[in-house]
Amino acid sequence: MRKKIKKTLYWFLTFLVMFITCLPGIWIFISAFRPNAEILSKPANWWPDNWTVHEFTQMFSIEGYVSVPAFDYLMNSIIISLTSTVIAITIGMMGGYAFARFNFKGKNKIFLSLMLARAVPGISLSLPLFILWAKLGLINTSFGVIIVYVAMNVPFTIWLTDGFFRQIPKEMSEVARTDGCTRLQAFWNVELPLAGPGIAAAGIFAFLLSWNEYALASVLTRTIASKTLPIGMMDYLNEFTINWAGMCAIAVVMIVPAVILTFIVQKHLVSGLTFGGVKG
Amino acid sequence: MAEVNLKNLTKKYGDVVAVQDMNLKIPHNEFLVLVGPSGCGKSTTLRMIAGLEEISGGEIYIGDELVNNKDPKDRNISMVFQNYALYPHMTVEQNLGFSLKIAKVNPVEIEEKVTEAVAILGLEDLRKRKPSQLSGGQRQRVAMGRAIVRRPDAFLFDEPLSNLDAKLRTQMRTEIKKLHQKLKTTVIYVTHDQVEAMTLADRIIIMREGFIEQIGSPIEVFNNPINVFVATFIGSPPMNVIECEVVNQNNNLFIKIDQDVLMPCPPSKKDKLEKSSKVFVGIRAEDIVPSENSTDLEKKGWNFEKLIELAEPLGTETQLFFKLNNKEVISRMYNPRVIQVGEKIKFEVDLEKIHLFDHETEKAI
Repeated sequence: MRKKIKKTLYWFLTFLVMFITCLPGIWIFISAFRPNAEILSKPANWWPDNWTVHEFTQMFSIEGYVSVPAFDYLMNSIIISLTSTVIAITIGMMGGYAFARFNFKGKNKIFLSLMLARAVPGISLSLPLFILWAKLGLINTSFGVIIVYVAMNVPFTIWLTDGFFRQIPKEMSEVARTDGCTRLQAFWNVELPLAGPGIAAAGIFAFLLSWNEYALASVLTRTIASKTLPIGMMDYLNEFTINWAGMCAIAVVMIVPAVILTFIVQKHLVSGLTFGGVKG
Repeated sequence: MAEVNLKNLTKKYGDVVAVQDMNLKIPHNEFLVLVGPSGCGKSTTLRMIAGLEEISGGEIYIGDELVNNKDPKDRNISMVFQNYALYPHMTVEQNLGFSLKIAKVNPVEIEEKVTEAVAILGLEDLRKRKPSQLSGGQRQRVAMGRAIVRRPDAFLFDEPLSNLDAKLRTQMRTEIKKLHQKLKTTVIYVTHDQVEAMTLADRIIIMREGFIEQIGSPIEVFNNPINVFVATFIGSPPMNVIECEVVNQNNNLFIKIDQDVLMPCPPSKKDKLEKSSKVFVGIRAEDIVPSENSTDLEKKGWNFEKLIELAEPLGTETQLFFKLNNKEVISRMYNPRVIQVGEKIKFEVDLEKIHLFDHETEKAI
């Protein structure tokens, strides 16, 4: 009996926490599918009377009129996030491996300074970055944003993959090397597959950071060809009106790919892959 | 098919010397065992031969080739690690064939060689398994198989049996020995277990603090330990070593082995002991024989009586514990009977079987 109460309580608390966490998300989803007027109605209308996909059709110019060029923004976001993630993971992974496996002069200091670089709030760099990028002609280019995101993601990726590579016994690479591998072959054939979950995790983090980043992108991009979704969302903010429904709709466009990606990669996050290779 | 030759091999970590000026020639087909307590430099030596550890000085030859600056992959050696280090993401056969795949051997040949290795080690039914689905002994076998497949010039074993339980260890030990007889390749084997060393080796090297203490066949090392360290390291239970005074009575040399107990000096060692006042006496447990079990030869030796403080029955033998000069001493009683604590037992010692070590240098006299 007591066990049953405990279990019920447990489920109730879990539900409560999840509900509180998800509520804004749910609200965004609901609001994306109803007219703006209904969102602003007082008293609040919790459940839409009229369901509509009006904002979506407008956004993707299905009705022949484009409210906000969401498709361009989506493409920009995908290109910028994926490219910066791939570059950051490639560099970060190699860095993480180096920190995990090699001893070199000033190793700890370099590692510490990489971590400190993460501690600097990005927004404080926006002005110098803007001036520098303007001089280099990188304002309003995807390339300019990609460089910034790579710089933001590399230290974190190094930190994360360093930990994962440390967990792989160094005998793995040693035995591969006596088996005829070069150091690079040993890394590619043995250590990289084993560090897979860690790299997948680092990848998710890097992707989401790039996908959601607002502060720096808002300074560096202002054209349709370069703006990402979070910046594009501000297009719904006009001088006298705010189109809440449109904002919610574009937020849904932002959330869905991120959730799908996380679900896909999550499958590969199985830890304990290294179990069995060495004496446990 | 190669001999391994080490010349003045040295390894330093900063100021700490791990291996000092090691000179060693390992002929083709020899089973060489490096043994010693942890930190004696035996694993470091092995890793230097494998190329996994940079050397601080000296030369390593495999065959006629100087391999100092060669990568592990170009040395044509195979190494088996203590923790197996199997590739967890590959099946048994992929593990076995990995080195050949890297060497771009054609798949048909890989299949042949893997099948051969699998047959040698009795892993036929496990080919498709992943390492996590294998028991400790099976993993160890796969690790050995992976080494065999390459047909290396030399096998390097780094404490390969330390992670196995006692029964399996004995079994795998026999298998390694058989494997060596079948493959006829140079083997360099590192262990801290002197029983493994004794049973497997053609030649044993006992190391301490980066230096070679003694090299010899297991029997040589066992019968003629060069110093106290080797004497106590090789053999189980370890040799009893007792610090004693040398006493001269009426021009006869005696060793004071216990309070008021004098043991005559072995005739062959007499002239060497004349100038010493103290000496370490080493007697193996099996050489202190309870007189009820002793042979005629031992009866002609010297005897003493002692009260037993502890008796440990092991089935085939009982180990008797007592003190000589306040040092715990073990005697092995074969054909055991029940021994009471406090029982007085007469022991016989063949004086020519005792070992004497210099008090200063601890070297054999």
